[in-house]
Amino acid sequence: MAGEEEEPKSKGFRLLGILDVQNTPCSRDAILHGAGGSVTAGLLHFLATSRVRRSFDVGFAGFMLTTLGSWLYCRMNNAKLRVQQRMIQDGIKNQIVYEGTSRDPANKPEAGTPSGPS
Amino acid sequence: MAHPLQLGFQDAASPVMEELLHFHDHALMVVFLISTLVLYIILAMISTKLTNKFILDSQEIEIIWTVLPAVILILIALPSLRILYLMDEINDPHLTIKAVGHQWYWSYEYTDYEDLGFDSYMIPTQDLAPGQFRLLEADHRMVVPVESPLRVLVTAEDVLHSWAVPALGVKMDAVPGRLNQTAFITSRPGIFYGQCSEICGANHSFMPIVVEAVPLEHFETWSSLMLEDA
Repeated sequence: MAGEEEEPKSKGFRLLGILDVQNTPCSRDAILHGAGGSVTAGLLHFLATSRVRRSFDVGFAGFMLTTLGSWLYCRMNNAKLRVQQRMIQDGIKNQIVYEGTSRDPANKPEAGTPSGPS
Repeated sequence: MAHPLQLGFQDAASPVMEELLHFHDHALMVVFLISTLVLYIILAMISTKLTNKFILDSQEIEIIWTVLPAVILILIALPSLRILYLMDEINDPHLTIKAVGHQWYWSYEYTDYEDLGFDSYMIPTQDLAPGQFRLLEADHRMVVPVESPLRVLVTAEDVLHSWAVPALGVKMDAVPGRLNQTAFITSRPGIFYGQCSEICGANHSFMPIVVEAVPLEHFETWSSLMLEDA
C-alpha cells in the first residue's frame, strides 16, 4: 500500500546516465576492478615506455578488458548460485509436500516394511 | 508496482522475469562499455595532433571493427536466445485461466473445475480507499495460487487489447477471435499490477490488471466464496 514501503531502495548513481552501479549486482565490483586494472596497465606501460598518450590508450584498454572479465566472471557465479538456490527451494518444497508419502525423497525403501501411509 | 520517476524494471515476481532482469543488466553493461569506448575515441580524435588526409585503407583497423562487433553481438545473443527458449518451455500448468478483454474492463474465467467467471473493472479515483493506487486498483482481482505453473488464455471480445503484468514478465495481445496462450509461475505471494497495453478506445488507460498471488489454501477459500457469490 502507498506509504508503507519496507525499505527505500537507494536511488543509485548511474554511470553515464546508463548503469545503475549500486542496484545492479556485480556492476560495482566490475567497475572498481576495471578502474584498478586501468590504472595498473596505464602506469606500467608509462613506466616502461614513457609515452603518455599511448599509456592512456593502454590504460583504457585495460579498463575495458578488466571490467568485462570481472563482470562475466561475477555474473556466471551469480547464475550458478541462482540455479542452486532454485534447486534447493524446489527440494524443500518437495520435501514438505511429499513428506510421509511414498514419494518422499528421504524415504529409503526397506525390504518387508511398508512405505507411506496405509 | 511502479513508483514515480522509476526508470528500471519492477522487482521480479516470476523466474522468467528474474532472468529477463539479469539479461537486461548484462546488455546494459555491454552498452555502457561501448558508450565509454565511443566517448574515449571522440576525445582522442579531438585532441590528437596526428592528421593524415590521405589514408585510403587499413587492413588492421578494418579487421578489428568487423570482428569486435561480431563478438559483442554473440555475447548478447547467447543469453538472449537462452531466455527465449526458456520462455517457451512446456510447464504442465496446474490451472488455466481465460482473460478476456472488453471495452473497457477485463473478465476472467476459471473453468477447470467449476464455472467461475467475473469482471474486473478499475476502481474510479473518487472511490479509492486510503492507500490504494490510482488507475491501478480493480474491484475484482485475478487471484492465483503462488508457486504454481499457470496458463492464461488471452482473447478479446471487441477490439484489440493486451494483457500485461510487468512484474511477472508477461504480455500477450488479446485479439478478437483468437486465443493466445501465455504461462507464468509467481515466485512469491503479493499483488502485481499491469495495464492494458494495446490502444483500445477512450478508456484504454483505465482498464488495469491486478493479479493476486496467494497460498493454495487461500486460493481455494477465495474460489469457494466467489462461487457462492455467483
